[in-house]
Amino acid sequence: MLAVVPARERTFLEEMNNFNFPESRSLKLKEVMGYDRRRLVEPGVCISDLAVFGLKHLFERGLLKPDEIDGLFVVTQTPDYFMPPTSNVIQGRLNLKQDAFCLDISQGCAGFVIGLIQAFSLLEQENVKKVVLINADVLSRKTSPKDRNIYPLVGDAAAITIVEKDAADSVIHASVKMDGTRNEVLMIPAGGMRLPSSPETAVLEDVGDKNLRAKDHLFMDGSAVFNFVQTEVPPLIEDTLKDAGVAMDAVDYFLCHQPNRFMLQKLADKMKVPHARMPNNVVERFGNSSGATIPIAVMINLAERVKTGDCLACLAGFGVGMTWSSMLMRLGGLSFCELVDYA
Amino acid sequence: MNEYLEKIAKILEVDSVRDADDLKTFPQWDSLTVLSVIAMLDADYGVNLRAADLQEAASAGALWKLVQSKKAR
Repeated sequence: MLAVVPARERTFLEEMNNFNFPESRSLKLKEVMGYDRRRLVEPGVCISDLAVFGLKHLFERGLLKPDEIDGLFVVTQTPDYFMPPTSNVIQGRLNLKQDAFCLDISQGCAGFVIGLIQAFSLLEQENVKKVVLINADVLSRKTSPKDRNIYPLVGDAAAITIVEKDAADSVIHASVKMDGTRNEVLMIPAGGMRLPSSPETAVLEDVGDKNLRAKDHLFMDGSAVFNFVQTEVPPLIEDTLKDAGVAMDAVDYFLCHQPNRFMLQKLADKMKVPHARMPNNVVERFGNSSGATIPIAVMINLAERVKTGDCLACLAGFGVGMTWSSMLMRLGGLSFCELVDYA
Repeated sequence: MNEYLEKIAKILEVDSVRDADDLKTFPQWDSLTVLSVIAMLDADYGVNLRAADLQEAASAGALWKLVQSKKAR
């Protein structure tokens, strides 16, 4: 696994004066949510730039050969274009073989597990040996700097995971649930065919909570997302563990999507899992980069362990759709697990 | 009830909150406070409320009644 994060770092303290709230309240928000630093792309940088940078890094170090890539999945909410798929853009920029099966998947914070499931399915084909899964988003470009609800938590990143067949053939358990009736809880209202972007959709509006955002911007109903995570994620994880016949205590780490520290602490409390077994330190250093946060959580907390040994990990993603997903697997034997800066 | 009012007061960063107080009139009432109250009611009383439920509650006591009615279900 490799993550590519923009070199540009911004701090909460630098940005909090953009918000329409007293400084004391913004500092309180920082303390409760665990906001500190995050990584943001420069204007104009797209997910294919981060992905191509990361794949070249792997090619140059002999960690992956271009011709080995039989499948390329790009999981994103911020593609380079409406059309063509960003996976084809990346394929073209790197001259990957025509036999590489390229597919974009419209998923976000639950997208690491969703992408793994798709990669596993493709690997069922006999002549597919390696699948590259890319979880990438540049959501900072779609957030309003005057929206305290979402702006201070978003970060940009691309995570590249090489998925191969395991000789040991160990079983992996996973569950996914979706609820489209709640699709408006996390959305970018304008810019698609329903409401094309126009001068009107770019106008910043206060919808009554002192935050200013346009319809072109990412909207998040924070308390609805909180309730969604607290009520839906614990039973899903319990079901996955039950299917696998594994007790909660036997799981070494719960590697969850990283919305913010607060939500993860509350989730751990609800599941009666010690905080140390559910890392929550991605947002304070990098921001919430949607589907890339689980790989980043592995890199900054468990890199040595998953390279030299392994651990029983329960992954869990949750977000746009709404979608929630979990997967129980032995995570280990990784030939690389690092994070590099994109500049 | 008293324990609940103490918890609300702590979130609002005031010494005390009375039954009849309208939570929305406190200077600290914002989206962060709303989320903190929702999280407290979930963790300590096992009740999941929406932000709209908090906005509609006329007082601290009215919110407590709502919590009790949800708990009873």
